[in-house]
Amino acid sequence: MSLAALRASLRRGPAVSPFLMLGDPTPDLSVELARTAVEAGAGMLEIGFPYSDPAADGPAIQAATGRALAGGTSTQRGFELLRRIAESCSGIPLNLLVYGNLVHRIGYDRFADTVTQAGASTLLAPDIPLEEAAPLRRACRRAGLGHVELAGPLTPGPRLQRLARGSSFVYLAGFQGVTGVRHGGFAAVLRRVTEVAESADVPVCLGFGISSRDQIVRAFGAGARIAVVGSHLARAVGTLYGAPADAERLVAGYRSAVLRLTSNR
Amino acid sequence: MKSSLRPRRGAFGSFGGRFAPELLTPALEELETARREIVPTKAFRDELDREARAWVGRPTPLTSAPRFSARAGLETVFKREDLLHGGAHKANNVLGQALLARHMGKSRLIAETGAGQHGTATAMIAARFGMQAVIYMGEKDMERQAPNVKRMELCGAEVIPVTAGARTLKDAINEALRDWTASLSTTHYLLGTAAGPHPFPRLVRDFQAVIGREAKRQWRREFGGLPDVVVACVGGGSNAIGIFHAFVPEQSVRLVGVEPGGAGLDSGRHGATLVRGTPGLLHGARTMILQDDEGQILEPHSISAGLDYPGVGPEHAHLQETGRASYVAATDEEALAAFEVLSATEGIVPAFEPSHALAFVLRARESGELPAGSRVLLNLCGRGDKDLETYFALGRSS
Repeated sequence: MSLAALRASLRRGPAVSPFLMLGDPTPDLSVELARTAVEAGAGMLEIGFPYSDPAADGPAIQAATGRALAGGTSTQRGFELLRRIAESCSGIPLNLLVYGNLVHRIGYDRFADTVTQAGASTLLAPDIPLEEAAPLRRACRRAGLGHVELAGPLTPGPRLQRLARGSSFVYLAGFQGVTGVRHGGFAAVLRRVTEVAESADVPVCLGFGISSRDQIVRAFGAGARIAVVGSHLARAVGTLYGAPADAERLVAGYRSAVLRLTSNR
Repeated sequence: MKSSLRPRRGAFGSFGGRFAPELLTPALEELETARREIVPTKAFRDELDREARAWVGRPTPLTSAPRFSARAGLETVFKREDLLHGGAHKANNVLGQALLARHMGKSRLIAETGAGQHGTATAMIAARFGMQAVIYMGEKDMERQAPNVKRMELCGAEVIPVTAGARTLKDAINEALRDWTASLSTTHYLLGTAAGPHPFPRLVRDFQAVIGREAKRQWRREFGGLPDVVVACVGGGSNAIGIFHAFVPEQSVRLVGVEPGGAGLDSGRHGATLVRGTPGLLHGARTMILQDDEGQILEPHSISAGLDYPGVGPEHAHLQETGRASYVAATDEEALAAFEVLSATEGIVPAFEPSHALAFVLRARESGELPAGSRVLLNLCGRGDKDLETYFALGRSS
């Protein structure tokens, strides 16, 4: 069902995929922000489960994690929020970003079943690399959930092809570092996108360090089918929301931030 | 379930592996290649031995402890890693890894530290080798261990406060991993314990295994045969795996690791990951960890900052699962009492970490945890100077 949503979405054209953390800044508002992002033109959503030790994330997403955990969102609550997001954003593929221990704790099969029933399309566990991914891949396949592998600027060609095999798409980190951090110019990132798009026979998703429409257009031009904007939007949430009274301002501000990424105006 | 989760790279039974982001794979592969190709060479071994003697202060003696033994009712002998440069076994590992980093052409070392012992050891070796050192330390730990921060800075290291998460050791490891992801071409991550993604648990064990090799040889020469029991404290577990390793094949030798029981196992405020934890993925390995029902990592508690870690080296989890080693806990209170006993009976002021191992030996005969007549080899892995301030602040009258 939900994997079909991914295929249908990619047939319609390249997708801008805002990242949002379940429970950030509050459980209800994270559902509201998901709906807002889709109304503002997001073709896909990247959904994070808050985890106490997000070692692959930079400061902005760490802060989002902290807000979500402080607001009481952990895995079980996250499942519920995911279900609500899937209901209010029907037809929009949802890619989950989940640290391995959260999946391991619940059990790979049970986790995959639960999120598939909740409406997720695909799952990426950033700290379960290719060598250790077989049990997770099996669990995803059994549940009808797509599995996504992470690739980096230094991932060699043959390894890239192994990563891509059986992946719903390859999630390419544009920069060598944690999320939200940029080293060097964007031209090298674009060359890398083209290289990966040509060698992998699955769609390429570009993430890490993307914050503008210009970058997104150039990434699509280079062959990416999905562009994820994470830290940029997580930072916006942190800036726009400090107290319940800020809810309206947050939703409006978030809407314009996503619109700036999805439209050429 | 267990077999399907068996890690593929660097497994210890169903534990270990390499659960680290793809972006770290190139660095971990490079390190694994160096471990296989550089460490076994004669040139590397010779240099390591030379520096271990001249700079670290190896070999360390075995010390009989008749008055402590009388108190415990068990004959106890100490392996004196407290006499190493820097005052702890940490020097064995930093020397080996820094030497390897130099062979790999890395000019910058990064490290995490909790109590500041590993950070200090890293700062010292970086100064000796003329390398840059950056130490990540939880903001909370920097306040608790201010003198060690000064010591690291004195040796030329930059100490970066970690303000994320709980602002302690586990967060410092996260931050070091983040740095390494971006800096791997120039930087070696000098992990301080036998944990982390493959190849770290083996790399650190192999540099610490000198403790057990030496002790086994010395015991044969001085006492004949083998000890009945080898005891060590376990936080991440590097001193314990260091002394256990040579004895693992000797089935007659019991191996006992002592974890921090903090305020008591039932209080929930402890760091006893093997005794009370559950399997999970933390800092690159499948191992025993302290976590809640949903997989969030819990903050451990111990009087000893060096044992205050919610995970443990995966090889210990394996030794526990196979029954080759057993793991117990000693509380803060027991450790403090043992700290006092050793100081008063033998004139050795131990660190709070090995005080947990001492506490186990002191109670083991009465509790029946060890049979009468057992001859015990205990890894006295650090000296207590660093803990004096904390100890006196407690206002105990011994």
